[in-house]
Amino acid sequence: MKKLLQSREALITGLLVVLIVITGLFNSNFFKFDSIIEIFNASLTLVLISLGEMFVIFTRGIDVSVGATAGLAAVVLGTTLNLGWPIGLAIAAAIVTGILAGMVNAFGITFLRVPPIIMTLGTLGIYRGLMRIITGGSWIENLPQSIKEPNLWDIAGIPFYVWLTFVVIAVTAYVTLKFKPARYFYAVGDNEEGAYLLGIPVRLTQFAAYTLAGFFAALAAVVFTSQIGFVSMNAADGFELKAIAANVLGGVSLTGGMGTPLGAAVGALFMTAVHSMLIFLGVPGIWDNAFAGVILLAVVYVDYRVRTALELQRRQARIRGDAASEGGRS
Amino acid sequence: MKWTRIFRTWEFALAVLLVLEIIVLGLINPVFFNAENLLYSTLDFSHILFAALPLTLVIITAGIDISGVSIMGLASITLGLSWVAGINVFVAAAIALLVGILAGLFNGFFVAKTDVNPLVITLGTLFMFAGLAQGMPALLDLLGFKAYGSAGLAAYQYEGITGLPDSFIALTEGTVGIVPYPFILVLIFAAVLSLLLHKTRFGRYLYLIGVNPKAAVYSGVPVQKTLVWAYVLSGFGAALAGVFLTSYFTSARADLGGDALLPIITAVVLGGADILGGSGTILGTLLAGMLLGFLRQGLLAIGVTNDLIQVVMGALLISAMAVKQLVNVYGEYRLNRRALSQKEGR
Repeated sequence: MKKLLQSREALITGLLVVLIVITGLFNSNFFKFDSIIEIFNASLTLVLISLGEMFVIFTRGIDVSVGATAGLAAVVLGTTLNLGWPIGLAIAAAIVTGILAGMVNAFGITFLRVPPIIMTLGTLGIYRGLMRIITGGSWIENLPQSIKEPNLWDIAGIPFYVWLTFVVIAVTAYVTLKFKPARYFYAVGDNEEGAYLLGIPVRLTQFAAYTLAGFFAALAAVVFTSQIGFVSMNAADGFELKAIAANVLGGVSLTGGMGTPLGAAVGALFMTAVHSMLIFLGVPGIWDNAFAGVILLAVVYVDYRVRTALELQRRQARIRGDAASEGGRS
Repeated sequence: MKWTRIFRTWEFALAVLLVLEIIVLGLINPVFFNAENLLYSTLDFSHILFAALPLTLVIITAGIDISGVSIMGLASITLGLSWVAGINVFVAAAIALLVGILAGLFNGFFVAKTDVNPLVITLGTLFMFAGLAQGMPALLDLLGFKAYGSAGLAAYQYEGITGLPDSFIALTEGTVGIVPYPFILVLIFAAVLSLLLHKTRFGRYLYLIGVNPKAAVYSGVPVQKTLVWAYVLSGFGAALAGVFLTSYFTSARADLGGDALLPIITAVVLGGADILGGSGTILGTLLAGMLLGFLRQGLLAIGVTNDLIQVVMGALLISAMAVKQLVNVYGEYRLNRRALSQKEGR
């Protein structure tokens, strides 16, 4: 029980279930299979972006350019498709764009030693600017059917992209748990100097984290471009902040070295579900942001209280234990 | 301290850059040699300065406040709605500033009382204040006030609350000699903050908290109180920016200042404040903010598009930081070499 209380994944999943039940009680349509699938479908972009952001946060960094990276990758995807590139090549171009954008961040942070928030804030401006320069500021429409088609596929009644995202989450979870180099992200974030002394390639690990953030952002770009069928100029705008919020909600601590892919994914699902729930409860969409902010603050506050309470308990136990052992000696 | 030291400060370098920039821009387009024009163009970025100046204090404490951009919109919509409700527009402006102070108080208490990362807290309040600003008109409508005025909901969404009294609009149109009122207010605000930061105990506490919060606690510094005040000032500055923008754009909107986050943080960081805390000056932020603001004006004047300017600004922020880091590394390297050679000499 105590362990469950300590786990942020459990806390946020519980909260999500409670909110879903409350919403369902008010509006039974919410419990329908279609509505649940719809929420999953709507959350995929944020889930993918959050997974990339997660690696960066593991290393105690921050990347506020992931939304802009996704936007840039989407623009590359849309532009190349409309130039008549085959779909596979266009998707590859988008993914490479994302990886390159991530590597630019990584280079500035690991080699030029620019603080992560400054570096990625700078590239946020650069990538958003580039997006508009490439397209001349207009939306990319009339995309070929080939890119929109996968959105209509489904396996066992569940859309293809939902499956795909599940697979990505599962692979990421497996790799981060079982694959030794993936543990480096945690080590570097928990104690950079300690990791260095253990012989972990600290800079390479940080480099990999930002590159992965770019890769996942590009993956998200492919999914949402396919889902909505056009690329607007504020595509994925503000997703960087939502991705950070999703990670924090899911227990990926900004102080580094903590959290799981499952937590990040549930956090992202939560952020999106809040939107759908408010609609089902009949609350106008303008309250989305306020609600998301309040939830984020409430969760970090509860987490803080739980942490300090546990810490106090541990200290008291230690004092009692010390007193007892001293009493035994005398 | 030798007076020649001044030449080696970052602020001096910024001042030189600012003068150089105006000369270069003036050579390209003589409009920039016209002092009146130059001062008039500060209206386009005064809101950045209002928010960036007090943010410097927060960053000195190793904190950050990204919720300022939402506080701008919140202050603006508060002003507009209070005015629609029949309150005198200047009293409404005062209420808007009060809302900014309360928002800052909320941030400050959360930061001071918990150990949660200030970035997370102000990220939460960024969403919360923006949502509050967006939802407030609807809320007032539910409560029976007619929040949108005579123009109705549709007009509110596209134009904001318009038709504010001329006396309020005049605040940003008026000048003393050739200096616009808002820029005078920027200078006064900067002077007050500068005195606060460099000449009072409160200011020294801010630096100490930024360098070593534990040492600050052990030496009896009222850390929590100092932090709360820093965030309150930041909230107040953002609200001031919101009120200014409302007058400048002649309408109260919930989304005012939404895209100001990048320039605000760029101004503070380029001004020499260390994002990790412990250093920074008000003068530096003021000069850097003006440098960036004029650069933007200059690029626009020679026909550079807004999109490209965004790219330039981002690149500038990164390269400024990279150069600073390289200089630091080189300085350390030189000190190490000197230490080594002295040891060998002995």
